[in-house]
Amino acid sequence: MKPKLKVIGTSVPKQDAGMRVTGKAIYGHDIKLQGMLYGAILRTEHPSAIIESIDTSAARKLEGVYCVITADDVDVNNIGYKRDHPILKKGEANCTRDEIAAVAAETKEIAKQALKLIKVKYKVRKGIYDVHEALKEQAPQINKFISGKFSNKNIAETFHYEHGNLEEEKKKSAHIVSRKFTLPRMTHACMATSNVTASYNMLDKKLLLYSSTQVPFLYQRDMAHALKMNPSDIRVIQPIIGGGFGSKLDIHPFEPICALLSIKTGKPVQILYSREEEFIASPIRQPMEIELTAGVDKDGNFTFREINIVKDNGAYTSWGATTPFVIMQSFSSLYKLKACRFNATAVYTNNVFAGSFRGYGNPQATFALERVIDLLADKLGMDKAEIRLKNANEKGEVTGQGLHYDTCGHKECLDTVIKKSKYHSFRNSDNGTLRNTNKNESTNNGSRFKKGIGLASMLHVGGGAKIYRSDGCGTTIKIDPYGYCTIITGSNEIGQGSETVLAMMASEELGIDLKKIKVINTDTDVKPWDVGVHASRTSFVAGNSLLGAIKILKEKLNKKAGELLKSDDTAYEYENGNIYPLRNTNINESTNTENKASKLTKEIANTDSYIRNDSDFVKLDKVVREMHFTEPNELAVANFFYEPSSKFQDKDFKGNVSGSYAFAAQAIEVEVDTYTGNVKVTDIYVAQDVGKVLNPLLLGGQIEGGILQGVGYALTEELLMHEGKILNPNFHNYKMLTAADIPNIHFFPIETNDKEGPYGAKGVGEAPLIPTAAAIANAVCNALGLEVIDLPITPEKVMKALASKNTETIQTKNK
Amino acid sequence: MEFNIINPVSVKELLGAVKKEKHFRFGAGCTDLLMELRKKPDEGLTVINLAQVKDNSFTGIKKSAKGIRMGAMFTAHQIVMNEELKKTFPVLHDSAHNLASTQIRQVATVGGNLCTASPSGDIACALVALRADCELLNTTQKTRTVNISTFFTGVRQTALKPNEVLYGISIPANHKNTKNNYSGFIKVGTRRSMECSVVSLAYHIQVNVEGKILKAGVAIGASAPTVRLAESACDFLIGKTFKNITQKEKEEFADKVLSYASPITDIRATAWYRKEVLYNISKSIFE
Ligand SMILES: Cc1cc2nc3c(=O)[nH]c(=O)nc-3n(C[C@H](O)[C@H](O)[C@H](O)COP(=O)(O)OP(=O)(O)OC[C@H]3O[C@@H](n4cnc5c(N)ncnc54)[C@H](O)[C@@H]3O)c2cc1C
Repeated sequence: MKPKLKVIGTSVPKQDAGMRVTGKAIYGHDIKLQGMLYGAILRTEHPSAIIESIDTSAARKLEGVYCVITADDVDVNNIGYKRDHPILKKGEANCTRDEIAAVAAETKEIAKQALKLIKVKYKVRKGIYDVHEALKEQAPQINKFISGKFSNKNIAETFHYEHGNLEEEKKKSAHIVSRKFTLPRMTHACMATSNVTASYNMLDKKLLLYSSTQVPFLYQRDMAHALKMNPSDIRVIQPIIGGGFGSKLDIHPFEPICALLSIKTGKPVQILYSREEEFIASPIRQPMEIELTAGVDKDGNFTFREINIVKDNGAYTSWGATTPFVIMQSFSSLYKLKACRFNATAVYTNNVFAGSFRGYGNPQATFALERVIDLLADKLGMDKAEIRLKNANEKGEVTGQGLHYDTCGHKECLDTVIKKSKYHSFRNSDNGTLRNTNKNESTNNGSRFKKGIGLASMLHVGGGAKIYRSDGCGTTIKIDPYGYCTIITGSNEIGQGSETVLAMMASEELGIDLKKIKVINTDTDVKPWDVGVHASRTSFVAGNSLLGAIKILKEKLNKKAGELLKSDDTAYEYENGNIYPLRNTNINESTNTENKASKLTKEIANTDSYIRNDSDFVKLDKVVREMHFTEPNELAVANFFYEPSSKFQDKDFKGNVSGSYAFAAQAIEVEVDTYTGNVKVTDIYVAQDVGKVLNPLLLGGQIEGGILQGVGYALTEELLMHEGKILNPNFHNYKMLTAADIPNIHFFPIETNDKEGPYGAKGVGEAPLIPTAAAIANAVCNALGLEVIDLPITPEKVMKALASKNTETIQTKNK
Repeated sequence: MEFNIINPVSVKELLGAVKKEKHFRFGAGCTDLLMELRKKPDEGLTVINLAQVKDNSFTGIKKSAKGIRMGAMFTAHQIVMNEELKKTFPVLHDSAHNLASTQIRQVATVGGNLCTASPSGDIACALVALRADCELLNTTQKTRTVNISTFFTGVRQTALKPNEVLYGISIPANHKNTKNNYSGFIKVGTRRSMECSVVSLAYHIQVNVEGKILKAGVAIGASAPTVRLAESACDFLIGKTFKNITQKEKEEFADKVLSYASPITDIRATAWYRKEVLYNISKSIFE
């Protein structure tokens, strides 16, 4: 009998919830340091121009201005994944975000006024805003900082992957479908705008940064490279972060600029973005064109996929350029597939550059793939649920790309949403006849509202992703003489609730009340290394790391407890601040406390033969004190570094890149108003293979938030651009959905108990948004009998498609 | 964004301030004003804050035989919560209920919605359909009344003179023989809240016990430089029985409504879309 989990699996509220809702939380915007100055950035007036001259003299003379810098005033390295991004631009501007100059002044108002006094002479160029234009022979080179190892001067990065015999599989295909999809720019729109406070100490030449980065240790290293400093001379402290979603994976120019202003003035400097600046100058989800050709044999087995992707890289290269790592994974390994050939090219343009964004390319890939699966089913005359179930991934499968599915809830997820949504009774027939669904409406000329249902599923890393040389996380844990526990973890909190989950694990394992557990995770000078918050990895990697540390700590505590209890038992139970020996009743039984099923957790093999006597215990704090004050005079402290079992992929992008894999499926019902073109999402059925539910409340939060982001991607959110300029840098016209738009969400967690995960859990953070747009598009197609190849599906696009009887495709841009 | 602010607490102080100040704007809920000033700072501006003025005729609501009069400072929230308005003029209730969000409705005023004179003003659209009258008060303490159809003179322009403030709005009572009127507000946009109308339609159609239409007010929003009353579409309905309107008549009605529209293409929608949708929702009144 396994001991029952007492804390894990319960709905413990986020530990910082009270602070956040009462306004007590200290965000970067709330930081005020003694003598602090305010920084502001002058950006280019033109997305593409020669900068002929910059005159800062008037700005420097303005009272209250401490410092004005341009590229000429600083000695720095480029930033960015390809080091192709100058912090301050010299000679030319290539993007509407380009930083031309920066000032530090006594007040925000003076800083702004100083910016107005800076005179820049531009020679405006035409600029290139289309990837195909950029690839033309005669196109000028946009970014001059790259090595030029590609065939075309405006290519920033390429990816090529393949498995299986594509030509052979083409021949075996009974049907082949080919489509080109266009995906929009979407922005994170974090509630807290970008912010950083830099404080340089002229005496010891050390730099302190209060930053909202998601990856403090990589940030420290990148910052050091940019500023030509020693990484260890830079200390990064994270205040409470008001939203990340991937936007804070890259280092952005305003951050080293703020550091430079502090270094120059010797005073703390703070830069805060306005909301408009946030829309203009923070990253986006990559826009891309995906050309997908896919085949199916006569029995409905998927045969091959051939993919060509052109991504608009913008003017500089960010982590966003590496999203094909994830995109190719879905194309190669979501559903069983015999052959795959994948090419992706990131192309420089004078548009704004992308960054990473929750899902990391996967919402785009899944949209294209799941749309084409519907089309293949149509060709075959096969049921759309059946074709998915037939090809679904399975436990034990090793995919063409080398992913090992040790556990796999793909089929179960699909099955669950198909059943729960009553998919088959709801769906319109696929031969185009629509069910009249609005019996309540008193229409007399057919129905105004058309209902439809769509299916989609997804695959994502569930146990970190080894894209850096280490995907690990360190933990230090200590218990003080009063029985309180402190977890110092390398991982960080960006609002996802990882602190709470880590505290729950410690409470579970050590029997310490949650109120007595503190999580320290904000300071690079204090905490051990971690790669950062991304790839849905924190609960998995930091959780395993913590459990590893607890195991070591418990060995020490057990030993002392044994001494105090005068027992030679080797198994102990921790509960209510006490340690109970588990007396072994069966001497022949192995006393091995390690169990493969859950390597690091408290579950003890064959506990049946152990007996706990409730009056036979020693208090945990007493054990700690005895360890400290008597032999062996040791503190109750342990360190552990956990590195997932995943492998760095080889040069062909093959290998088991994650410790486990997450699966999910969604069935979504929509109602389309044919009078206005509005698509109303009524019900979303979600099943997600989460491995194990650690905290239902926090999991629900991830699901609901992710889904709303997915609905926005499908229907309303698009950063509109014209010739390199952003047309809607505000919430008024960037249509992020609100609480009033939340559809009915029916969530069904699927527990597959992955042996690699803490308590069997997998990463959950990104998955909820990944299949949503695909399922909505499939539902709209089902409702209207039309094809969607373009996101977002705006009312205008729907009306245009309904109006044009000739074309059967929703493609028109609403400009 | 910087400005001076003065806070009169009585109508007398208010009119005094209007007389004295050279370069001023009124601020009621300031939900439009602050957005406007942030976009276009106005140096040396004084904002005369109307929110502290204590005067029932300016802030309250009153019912009489002639109809209902609201002070200009009556808020969207107060409209939503008022049972009498909900019963008598559903179109007004709906328009206020669909405005912005709960938080904004607490401070946004009916006077502000009219005086901002946006083509997409929701409450304004409902009040045009209701054929309301605007009461303007000048610095000599005289009032004049202009019908709402002449109050809007262009995009963001009104009949208000520099020495006038909008004091109150009167909605004429429903025809006394009417029963179960057809009244509502249709707002088209992408979000369910915090949305500015891409197209809107307000209708208040009064019918007698037999369902015969006695009076009709139909107004369009976000489709022309100002909110407009679709006069000929209203006339077309008089004498018809609401429930018996034929498909052909519906279409004729929608065509008439559309003849008042001269929408623009902007980043939220094309003119084509606005027309298409206006036509459809006009028909939908009878469905
Ligand atoms: C996020 C957001 C969402 C919104 N959504 C909607 C919406 O859905 N529908 C909609 O119609 N509007 C919407 N608005 C606009 C605005 O909220 C409304 O127009 C509101 O009714 C304005 O009222 P106010 O009291 O805030 O006006 P204010 O901003 O105080 O004033 C607006 C203008 O009228 C003038 N003014 C005000 N009162 C008087 C008076 N008594 N006499 C003379 N002049 C006066 C002011 O000088 C100013 O020029 C939205 C605004 C925001 C910020």
